[in-house]
Amino acid sequence: MVVTTRQSDSPFSSGRLLDEDKITKALNMASELGAEYAEIRLVSETTNTASLKDGKLERAIPGQEVGVTMRILADGAWGVHSTSDVSSIIGQVESTFRLAKAVAARRSPSQTVVGLAEVPIIQDEIHWKSNKDVRDTDLDQRIEMMLAIDNEAKDDERIVSTSTGWSDEHIHTELMTTEGMNRIWSFQRSLINGMVTARDGDDVVSYRMRHGGEGGLEVIESCDLGEMGRNAKISALRLLGAERAPSGRFPLVADRDLTGVYIHEALGHPCEADLVAAGDSCLEGRLGTTIGSEICTVVDDPTLRGGYGCYPIDDEGVDPRPKNLIVNGVLTEYLNHRETAHRYDLEPNGGARAQDGLHHPLVRMSNTIIQGGSHHDLDELIEDIEFGIYACGSRGGQVDTGRGSFQFAAQEAWIIENGSLSRPVKDVSVSGMTLQILKDVDGLTKDSHLAAPGFCGKGQTVPVGDGGPLMRIREALVG
Amino acid sequence: MIPDDAVERLLESALNIGAACDKENVQQWEVYATQGYGHSLEIEAGRISMASGGGDGGFGIRIVEDGRYGYAHLVDPSSASRAIQQALSIAKRSPSIEGFELPGNELASKVGGMKDKAILDMGPEDLLEQGDQVLTRVAELDSRAVAVGGGVGVGAGAGALVTSSGIENGGVHTSHGIGIHVSIDEDEHLTSSYEGESSRSILKDLTASVDKAVHWSQATREKIPGGATEDCPVLMTSGGFSPLFSVVVPTAIKGERLARGESFWSGKMNEMVIADHLTLVDDGLMEGGMSSGSRDDEGVPSRTQTLVDSGRLNGELWSTRDAAKLMAEGKVASAQSTGSASRGGHTSPPICGCSDLVLSSSNQTMSRDRLIEEMEDGYLVHSVMGAHTANPTSGDFSVTTSTILRVEGGQIIGSLSQAGLSGNMAKALAGRVVLGDSNIRKGSYSTGSMHVPDILLMDGLRINPA
Repeated sequence: MVVTTRQSDSPFSSGRLLDEDKITKALNMASELGAEYAEIRLVSETTNTASLKDGKLERAIPGQEVGVTMRILADGAWGVHSTSDVSSIIGQVESTFRLAKAVAARRSPSQTVVGLAEVPIIQDEIHWKSNKDVRDTDLDQRIEMMLAIDNEAKDDERIVSTSTGWSDEHIHTELMTTEGMNRIWSFQRSLINGMVTARDGDDVVSYRMRHGGEGGLEVIESCDLGEMGRNAKISALRLLGAERAPSGRFPLVADRDLTGVYIHEALGHPCEADLVAAGDSCLEGRLGTTIGSEICTVVDDPTLRGGYGCYPIDDEGVDPRPKNLIVNGVLTEYLNHRETAHRYDLEPNGGARAQDGLHHPLVRMSNTIIQGGSHHDLDELIEDIEFGIYACGSRGGQVDTGRGSFQFAAQEAWIIENGSLSRPVKDVSVSGMTLQILKDVDGLTKDSHLAAPGFCGKGQTVPVGDGGPLMRIREALVG
Repeated sequence: MIPDDAVERLLESALNIGAACDKENVQQWEVYATQGYGHSLEIEAGRISMASGGGDGGFGIRIVEDGRYGYAHLVDPSSASRAIQQALSIAKRSPSIEGFELPGNELASKVGGMKDKAILDMGPEDLLEQGDQVLTRVAELDSRAVAVGGGVGVGAGAGALVTSSGIENGGVHTSHGIGIHVSIDEDEHLTSSYEGESSRSILKDLTASVDKAVHWSQATREKIPGGATEDCPVLMTSGGFSPLFSVVVPTAIKGERLARGESFWSGKMNEMVIADHLTLVDDGLMEGGMSSGSRDDEGVPSRTQTLVDSGRLNGELWSTRDAAKLMAEGKVASAQSTGSASRGGHTSPPICGCSDLVLSSSNQTMSRDRLIEEMEDGYLVHSVMGAHTANPTSGDFSVTTSTILRVEGGQIIGSLSQAGLSGNMAKALAGRVVLGDSNIRKGSYSTGSMHVPDILLMDGLRINPA
C-alpha cells in the first residue's frame, strides 16, 4: 500500500534538504548491488540553549546541526554510514553495502537473519505546528522566563546559588527508502530547568526542577515558573538538616516523578524488543503472562501530544501508536521496531527512535505512563502505613534489563509514621527486581498524568516523558 | 581512516571564519573545529549485529567584546556570517566581566601518545576480525556465556583551534575501545557483567575485557542469603569505584563551585579533606591520556596540577572565564586559568573540567587478594547501578549493586543477589582507606578520565542486602 499526502506549502515545513533525485539514484544503486532494503534519513535540528547563574546570563548558544544516516540491509545484516557531510552520503553506498555483506558472512547458520516487518509505504509530510513557534522566541524572552524561576528561588540567605537553563529545538526529518517510503516530518520541544543549592555550615544540598514538553513557547508559558522556583527553594531548605534515610525494606509511596521513573526503568526497558532479542531482558518469553499486580496498566504513548517523548513519525517512517505494555498486570506488548516485529511476528508499533541524524534507530520508549487506580489521594494511600517512606522527585535511575534489577533515586522524602508524614529524610534510593516489585504495587491514586520530562540513555540519548498517579508499593528496598 | 590533510583543511576553514570575524570588527574571536572519523561494530546475542562507519564535525565560534561573550556553532562554514552575527547579538546581552579576555598564545609542551598510526590504518575488516576474536574468546572461556551486548570501535579525530590572539593549533588523536556485556543464564539464574576499556593507542589485548566480564559473570553465581543492613568495610574494584568517583570528585574541585559554596570542600582550602596518605593530581600532560593534550580546549597550555596533596586540599580547577568572573564578583581574591577548559565538541563553549585525574597513595598499596585479607569482614563490590544519581554537591550516594561478594575472615564466601550501597564520598575518603596496587583507567566520562585503583574503604559505607 502506498499512501501519498503532500503539504509542501505548510508554513511549518523547512522545505526539502535531501536532493530527491540523487537520493533515489543512491537507493536504486543499493538495490542493484543486491540490498534487500536501504534507507537514507536526514535530521536537521535548529537549537537554542541558554543558562543563567545567580540570575546572570552564563551562556546562550544557537545552533544549526544536520546529520544523515544510511542503513543498508544485505544478506540479512546491517551496514550503516553516518555523516554530517550530507553531500558525501551518496558516495558511500557501495562501501556500506560491502559492510553489510561482511557482517552477514560472519553469521553462523544458527544465528538470526535480520528481516523487516512490512509496513504501509507512505509518501507525505506531517508538521506538528506549535502554537508559538519556538524559533520566534528571542533571547530576552528566554532570560525573562528563567529569571521568573530564579527570582523566587533565591530569597533566603541559606541559598548559596541558583542555576537555570533553557533548551528548545525544532526537529526536521526526511526519510527515503528503497521501498518507496518518502516522508518528511517536523516538530518542536521546549524545556526549562533549574537547580538550587543551599548551605548551612558543612551541610550542603541541592534540588533540581524541570518542566518541558513537545511544542513551542506555549509549553513554558503553561508553567507557573515562580511557583517552581519557590517550591525548589522550599525543598532545598527542607533537605538542610534532614537526616539520612533509613535502610531496609519498607512500604514505599512514590510521587508522579518517581512513579514515572520506576515504570520507565523497571518495566519499560525490559519491554524493548531489541533487548529481548539480544537475550538481555527478564521479560523474554513472558508475553501473555501475569507479571504485575492487577491494578497495573502501563501505556507507552508517542502520540500523547505535549509529552516530552512524543513524535509524529518514528525514525523508520512508521506511524506511532500507543502500546499497552501491561494491562491489569498482564504483559501484552513489547516496544518494537521493524526488525524485532519481524523476528517475533508482531505488528510494528512505531517504537524506532534515533538520537539524531548521526545515529541509527533503536527501540525506545516515548511517554510511558501507569494508569490511575482507585485511591483518592496521598492521605488515603498512607493512612494504613505504620512505618514507610514517601519519596518525591527524581534524581534518575538505571536498570539491568537482563537480571531485571533496577534502581532509582529520589530528590527528597518523608518518613511515614502511623498514617501520616512525619519528618523529611534525604538520600533515598529504591531498588528491586522487576518481576517482584510490579506485583507489590498495591495502591494507585485516580489521577494519572505525565510528570517532569526526562532523558533516557541507551548508548544514544533521547527525550522521554513518563509519569502516572501516586503509587504505593507494599515493600521496597530503600537505601 | 582520516584524510592526510584533515587538520590543514580544518585550520584553513577556521582561519576563514576568523577572517570573517575580523571583517565584522569583532574584538576577540576563537574558532574551534573538529572532524571525527571512525568504524565500529555492535555485538548482540552472541553475534556481530551491525557494522558502521562515518564521521561528523563542525565549528564553534566564541567572540568576546568588552568582557562579554557570545557563542554559536555550525556545520557548514559558508554559513559563518550568520553564526557570527548570532554570537555578537548574544554577547551584547551577556554581562560584562571585567578582565575577561581570550587566552594569549603561550608556549605549550608537546604531549606524546595521542595518535597511533596502527589505528589510522585499520579498516572495517580489521575491526570485524577483532569482533570475531572477542566472540570466540567468550565461547572459549565458558560455553554458557553469551555476549549479549557491546562492541568494538576505532576513531580518529582532527581538531583545530584558532584565535585572534595568535593561537593556531591543530592535531590528530586516535582511539580504540571495547565494551562487552556477558551473561550466563542457566537454571533460571542469570548473572552478567559489563567491562570496557579505551585507549589512544591500539589495545594490545582485547580479550582482557572479555576475561573480566566472564570472570565476574561466573564469580557472582554462587549466591548466599543477604544478611542484615550494616555499616562495614567495602572493597570497591577500580571498575566499581570509577563511575561514582567521576560523578562526585571532579565537580567538587572546580574553582567556581568551591568559591560559591557549592562543593563539600568549599571553605576548606589548605585543610585536610581526605586521608593523609592520599594525593589527587589532575594531569593534563599524561602521555596517551584520553583527556590530555598540549593545550586545553581554549588554548591554554596544559599542566600537571596537584589538587589534594597528602590529604590537604591545595588546588582547584579554573577556566579563563570562570576565573575572571569569580574575581569580578569578589568571590575570590585571585584566580587564573589552570588549563582546565574542556568541551563536549564544537557545539559547546569551553567549560571547566578535569583532564586525567589520578588518585594515589604514599602508603603501601596492595593486590586485590591482600586487600580482601586486610578487610577481613565486609563486601567486595565490582559494579554499581545508578552512579549518575550520586549528589556531587553533598557527596552523598545511594546506589545498587548486583556484583557483590561477601567476605568473611579474609575469604570470599559467596555472592549476594543484590544490595544497596550508600555513603558519602568525602567522608569515606577521609576515613581509613587502602589503595590497590595499580591505577586502571576505566574509560572516559563526561567529567574527564579517571585513574583510580581498587580501593578499600573501611569507614562510612553501608550495605543493605536485598
